Amino acid sequence: MNMNAVDKNTFAFGWSLAIVSILSSLLVVLKERSEPVMGLMKAATGHHWITHGLIVLLLFLLLGFVLGNVARPGLSRTGHNTLTSVIVVSVFFSGLIIAGFFLFS
Amino acid sequence: MNKEIILMLHPTFGVLAMLAAVWLFVEVVNTDGVNLRNQQRIKFSSMTVAILIWLSYLIGGYWYVEFYAPDKAIIKAGPWPFAHSFVMETKEHLFFVLLLIATYLPIAVAGKQWIADRSARTLLLTLAALVVLLGLAMEGSGAIVGLGVKMGLLGKST
Repeated sequence: MNMNAVDKNTFAFGWSLAIVSILSSLLVVLKERSEPVMGLMKAATGHHWITHGLIVLLLFLLLGFVLGNVARPGLSRTGHNTLTSVIVVSVFFSGLIIAGFFLFS
Repeated sequence: MNKEIILMLHPTFGVLAMLAAVWLFVEVVNTDGVNLRNQQRIKFSSMTVAILIWLSYLIGGYWYVEFYAPDKAIIKAGPWPFAHSFVMETKEHLFFVLLLIATYLPIAVAGKQWIADRSARTLLLTLAALVVLLGLAMEGSGAIVGLGVKMGLLGKST
């Protein structure tokens, strides 16, 4: 076993976490800027924040399972250090996008 | 249940989750790849972090959806409107990132590569540290939101 290669689920859900964090922050900008999107999200569950949470969680699970299925041993050779960096950068930029948007809007 | 108790449970579970994340951090730092009890504690503490953050999310979310509107109106009419427009808005959306990290922690632990791989341990240490950092940001934000309500009720000027 190559200990430098990340195991399937750690790889899949790690990337899913990084991608969905950024998508979530972009959804914040989209819904706050677009009345129809905000209206749709409110109509879906009664509150835009509940809908936002459901989208984020479903995307995280969906993307995690999809990536887990396509992650053959050759594809998941991302090292742990790379995955760690991707997650940190993603969390940083997610925070920056969200805080920056509400600070300057 | 009294709505003030519901409100207090949200940061309480948040603080407990941060403590569990610190516990996880320490266990990972001290893991030697041999001690089975240490490995069990790593699994248990990662699950504890996830469960506590989920409880904080569900309880805080319930309070936010059901009871926050009057507080929001007070904050927006008071001298600290940024307590809602910037702090609360950022907090309520950044919480999703914290929720994802906490949910991912037990998944990363279940991979068991941290037992033999130092870089896998670095991943766990980073995730635990992110839970603590984001948790502190959430706790601080909650305090500012609470102060925004107080300022609004007192009608104090800045």
